[in-house]
Amino acid sequence: MSYPTLAPFIQQRPWLMRWMRPLARWYFDNSGYRKLGLRADDLIPEESESVQLALKRLPPKEAYDRVFRMRRAFQCSLAHQLLPQTEWTKADEDISYLEPIIKEIEAERTEREDLESMIIKKRTSASTKGGH
Amino acid sequence: MLSRSAFRQATRQSWLQQRRGMAAPASGSFQYQVGEAAGIKIASRDTSGPIGTIALVAQAGTRYETMPGLAEGLNKYAFKNTDRRTSLRIQRESELLGGSLISTHTRENLVIGAKFFRDDLPYFVELLAEVASQTSYRSHVMQEEVIPLVMMDHKKFLANTLDMALSSVHSLAFHRGLGNTIKPASSTPYTKYLTAESLEEYAQSAYAKSSIAIVGNGVDHAELSKWTNEFFGDARKSPLQQLTSPQSKYYGGEERISHGSGNSMVIAFSGSSSPTGASYKPEAAVLAALLGGQSAIKWSPGFSLLSKATQEAPNMHVATKSNIYTDAGLVTIAMDGSATDIRSTAGKVVEALKSVAQNISKEDFQKAKALAKFKELEYGQEPRAALELTGAGLVRDNKPYQIDEVAKSIDGVTEDMVKKLVKEALENKASVSAVGDLYLLPFAEEIGLKV
Repeated sequence: MSYPTLAPFIQQRPWLMRWMRPLARWYFDNSGYRKLGLRADDLIPEESESVQLALKRLPPKEAYDRVFRMRRAFQCSLAHQLLPQTEWTKADEDISYLEPIIKEIEAERTEREDLESMIIKKRTSASTKGGH
Repeated sequence: MLSRSAFRQATRQSWLQQRRGMAAPASGSFQYQVGEAAGIKIASRDTSGPIGTIALVAQAGTRYETMPGLAEGLNKYAFKNTDRRTSLRIQRESELLGGSLISTHTRENLVIGAKFFRDDLPYFVELLAEVASQTSYRSHVMQEEVIPLVMMDHKKFLANTLDMALSSVHSLAFHRGLGNTIKPASSTPYTKYLTAESLEEYAQSAYAKSSIAIVGNGVDHAELSKWTNEFFGDARKSPLQQLTSPQSKYYGGEERISHGSGNSMVIAFSGSSSPTGASYKPEAAVLAALLGGQSAIKWSPGFSLLSKATQEAPNMHVATKSNIYTDAGLVTIAMDGSATDIRSTAGKVVEALKSVAQNISKEDFQKAKALAKFKELEYGQEPRAALELTGAGLVRDNKPYQIDEVAKSIDGVTEDMVKKLVKEALENKASVSAVGDLYLLPFAEEIGLKV
């Protein structure tokens, strides 16, 4: 899930954040997934190894709620209806529950690759090798 | 040239360190030096050689576990993800340093340690401190890595009749506490009791400063104190829940378990506690050597009493062991083989036991004493020797397991002491367990034991 993005650049500059925040809020509200009762993380494509493993690691309650939201949204899509406004996902409910797990898995993977491509040098003196 | 002088310096340094390592007492004393660092009891002995071993012994074995399966779970969760680094990193770093990691659990203790080159002592002390206080217990690690291993242990246990019989004999003898099974005997431990949260709570009780001891073989005592002070300084002082277990009491009884493959029968009676404990009886070790069963000489059944008694069943495995725990012990006579062999020889084994109570020939007794002393001193030469026993002794009784003293006390054993031990065992209830083809395996009364 590493694609070129300006997000870290903007998040590190508070004046840019002040400009971007209202724009971002408008964008999220209008993208429409909240009107079907979904969260942003429900939309992450599942067809990758990291995401499959992350889904296995979800706590049972989160997994159940995710399935419920997807079923409800699918039913709305079949009926060509939106949910009533009281059931739309609110901004503070739209938390990212899957993204941290995916990042953890990616970090583990890169760490494994780094350790496997490491170059080892023989120790030259009998000095104690302290903790890392 | 810079490199040449550095090379000379390096060889001189390593030569000096080797010299220091070889400066062990010529008599080969095995005494432990006891100390305290950062509120934790430590003991070490500086044996010669380039390899050192340290272990963190926690008084958190199956005897003290608050729910079944937690000691096993904690054992398997050692060296996994901590707050600072992942388990992969820990494994790779230890491998690069040439060390190997140890993690076992017994009925009373949980032992976590490492074997390494002497120079790497600070790294491994830091690693043990991290494992004790900063492991992060996550449910996905439990599901993916720990519980499958516990399930495999369960299956292995159910396939091994000798293990099942020994475990059953312990629970007959001690009921709860020491009688808890060391490997899961059913699936309830890992389906009902073993979760990441319960393991985290148990770890906070098990790895508190008052219930652990750090023991080292082949490391310098001053160095060990220094590094323990530095890295274990912020470990948890008092346990979340004090892990206690009442004084062990011997009960006895009989248990018969039906099993389709394999046959075992174990007879056990009350023995001696650990030398650091209250009821230490060195005659139990001599009795175990006297009865014997296994020979150190290949292709020969040996001349111990039980080998002579079971001569007509040469394919049967018979062995006597004196199991010592902190406040109680069990002398077990284990027979493992075909059911007909066990049926025909179990009576003879009990007769041999009864004859010990009557009369021991001088020659047999001398042989038994020599063998018991030899085994003790041979055990003392192993690098891992007495790590667990010293740690447990330190935590519970504040005394390390000094092998020299134990060997000396075996010298003081007389024939009357051994006879008395066996007479008491035969008067009280024995613990007998038979696992296998129950149609053939005899009852305890059929072979002459009281249950």
